[in-house]
Amino acid sequence: MARIRFQSVSKRYAGGQAAVCDLNLDIADQEFLVLLGPSGCGKSTTLNMIAGLEDISEGALLFDDQVMNNIPAHQRDVAMVFQSYALYPHKTVFENIAFGLRMRKVPEAELRRRVLDAAEKLEISHLLERRPSQLSGGQRQRVALGRAMVRQPSVFLMDEPLSNLDASLRISMRAQIRHLHASMRSTFVYVTHDQAEALTLADRIVVMRDGAIQQIGTPDDIYERPANVFVASFLGSPAINLLEGRLGSDGGRLCFQRGALSIPLANGFTDAAALEGREVLLGLRAEDVGPVDAATPVLSGVVDTAMPTGSDQFLGLVVEGVTLFLRVAKDAAMPEGSLASFGLNPQRLHLFDRASGLSLRAGR
Amino acid sequence: MIIAKPRLPGLLRGIGLALASAFMLAYVLAPIFWLVSSSLQQEAELTSIPPHWIPDHPSLANFRAIFLTGLGYAQPSANGVDPTSGGFIPSVAGNLLPAMGNSLIVAGAVVLLNLLVGVPAAYAIAKIRFRGRSAALYIILATRVVPDIALVVPFFLVVRKLGMLDSLMSLIITYLAITVPFSVFVLASFFEQMPDDLDRAARVDGCSRLQVLLQVFLPLALPALVAVGLFAFLASWNEFLLALMFTQTAASQTLPIIVAGITSDFTVSFSFLNAAGVLAVLPPVLLAVIFERYIVSGLTAGAVKG
Repeated sequence: MARIRFQSVSKRYAGGQAAVCDLNLDIADQEFLVLLGPSGCGKSTTLNMIAGLEDISEGALLFDDQVMNNIPAHQRDVAMVFQSYALYPHKTVFENIAFGLRMRKVPEAELRRRVLDAAEKLEISHLLERRPSQLSGGQRQRVALGRAMVRQPSVFLMDEPLSNLDASLRISMRAQIRHLHASMRSTFVYVTHDQAEALTLADRIVVMRDGAIQQIGTPDDIYERPANVFVASFLGSPAINLLEGRLGSDGGRLCFQRGALSIPLANGFTDAAALEGREVLLGLRAEDVGPVDAATPVLSGVVDTAMPTGSDQFLGLVVEGVTLFLRVAKDAAMPEGSLASFGLNPQRLHLFDRASGLSLRAGR
Repeated sequence: MIIAKPRLPGLLRGIGLALASAFMLAYVLAPIFWLVSSSLQQEAELTSIPPHWIPDHPSLANFRAIFLTGLGYAQPSANGVDPTSGGFIPSVAGNLLPAMGNSLIVAGAVVLLNLLVGVPAAYAIAKIRFRGRSAALYIILATRVVPDIALVVPFFLVVRKLGMLDSLMSLIITYLAITVPFSVFVLASFFEQMPDDLDRAARVDGCSRLQVLLQVFLPLALPALVAVGLFAFLASWNEFLLALMFTQTAASQTLPIIVAGITSDFTVSFSFLNAAGVLAVLPPVLLAVIFERYIVSGLTAGAVKG
C-alpha cells in the first residue's frame, strides 16, 4: 500500500542542468500511472527518484506520509523492471528471481513457493535452471517481471520494460502487465515514450517535457482534451494536423479562419468575444472527419496522396496551402488530384493559442 | 585489361611463417631452457666447452644443497674451495629458502591488500557519482608517471622515519603504493563495462552498495581480479631496487636480492646460481598456468577503455 507524492521536487545534476523542475504529483494507492514523454523529458529521472536511485535536489517525496528523500533504495519497498532487464548473468533464472527475497531473508520454503508460483504465472517454470544468456528477449523480460513480482512490493516501477521486444510480443506483454496490476494491488509507475502503451495501460497519464509536467489525466482526457499543442501532437498516430489561422466571427458565431476557409466553432469558450482576432492553431485528428451532411462544417481540398493501410486509407488533403493527413474509409475512392470534401464535428476540433500553445477550451 | 597480381605462393608463405615463429620461439624460450638445463648440471659440466644444452649427467645436487642448507642439514663450503670439485655450496645458499618465504609473504600480502583496497575504490570510481570522481582516477594514475627510481630516496626516508628498515612491512607498504594505482585502473575499467542497470537492479532488490559489490560485481569480475592479483604478485615477486635499499639481513631479504647476492660471493657457482633462478621463476609460472584461462579476458577487459 503506498500513495506516492511529489511536493515541489527538483533534480539538478552537478553541471547545473535541471532534469526535473518543481514537480508536483499525487499518485494514488494501487493506481497505474504512466509517465509519458520524449527521451530526455525527465520521466526516467522521476522514476529513479521514486526508486531511490537518484538523489532529490529539492522538495519532498512521500510514500503515504513518510518522507523518503534520504531512505536508500534497498530500504524502500519498491521493485523495478528495467528496459535492459538487468538480470544477474552469473545466477540461474531461479536465483535471479529469488535474489530480492534472499536479501530480505525470506525463509527458504516460503522463498521457493513464491518463486515457483511467479514462474508458473509467467510460464517460465521450465527455464528456472538456465542462465540469462541462454534465454530469448521475451523470456528475459518475463524473468525480470518475475524478479519484481515475487517481492510483492507496494510500489512497482517499470522503465520502458517493453521497448526491446518485437512488436507482436510487446502487445501480448501489455495485456500481461495489466493482469499483473490487477492481481498485485501495488501502485504501478510505468515509464514509456510509446503513446500506445500509455493509452492502453494507464489509469492516468502524466505527459512530461523538458523536466516539467504538461498534463495529468486519464487516457481519454489526454487524447480528447490535450492541454497544449505539445500534448496534442505527442499523442495520436499519425500526429494531429495543426492549421495556423485566426479567430473571427461569422454571424455572431466564433469561427476559425484561414484564407477562404472558415470553420464555425462549437460553444464552450469562456469569453468568446475576447478571443476574436486571436492568432490560433486548429488541431484536427486524422480520424475526426466524416461524411458531409447539412449540419456540419465542411472541409474541402485536393487529394495529394492516397495510401491504403489495409483497414482504411490515409489521405493527404491540401487545404489552403497546407497538407492535412486524414484517415478515411477504404471504400471511398479518392484518386490523387481529385477534389474531396469532409464533414467536421466542431466538438472534436482542438484550438490552441498560437503564442502560448495552450488550449483555448473552457475549463483549461 | 586486368593484370593478375603475382601472389606469394602458399607454400613459401607457410615456410616463412614457420621460420619466423621458430625464431621467435627460440628467442623467448632459449634462455629459460638454458636456465633449467644448467641448473641440472654440475659446475664441471657447465664450464666445459662446448657447452652441453642437454646435460650428460643430470643431477639435482644444486637443489638438494639449497634445501639441505635451508633446513640446516648441510653447511656452505669453506672459502677457496674450487666450485668444479663437486659438492660446492655457496655461503648464501642457506638464505634461499627463507628468502623465498619472505618473497611469498610480501607478494601474498600485496595481492590481498591490492584487492582489498583496489576493489572498493574501483567500484566507487566506476559506479558511484561523486564530486571529484574523474579527478580521483587521474590523480591515482598520475602517481604511476613518476619512475620508481625517483621515489627511492623519499621512500627510504619515510621507511627509516617509521622505523621499518629491514622489515617485510617496508616492502609491503611501498609495493602497494606502486601496484594499487594500476589495479584500481584495471578494475575500474572492468566495472565500468558492467551495465549501470545491474547495479541499480541489485540496489532495488535490497542490496546496500557493499552488498552489490560482493554479491553481484565480484563474482562477475573474477577474470579481472585474477589478472590484477597476478600483476601485483609479479611486481612484488620481481621487485629488486626497493628491496635492495630497504633490507639488510636475511630476515627481510627477498629472493631477487639473495639470488643476485650469489654472484658477489667469494667463489661463484653458476650451476647453483641457475638452480636458484629456477626456484625464483617457478611460482609465477605455476600461477600463470593455474589461472591461464582468466588472464587474457581479464587483461583485455582492462585494455579497452582508456
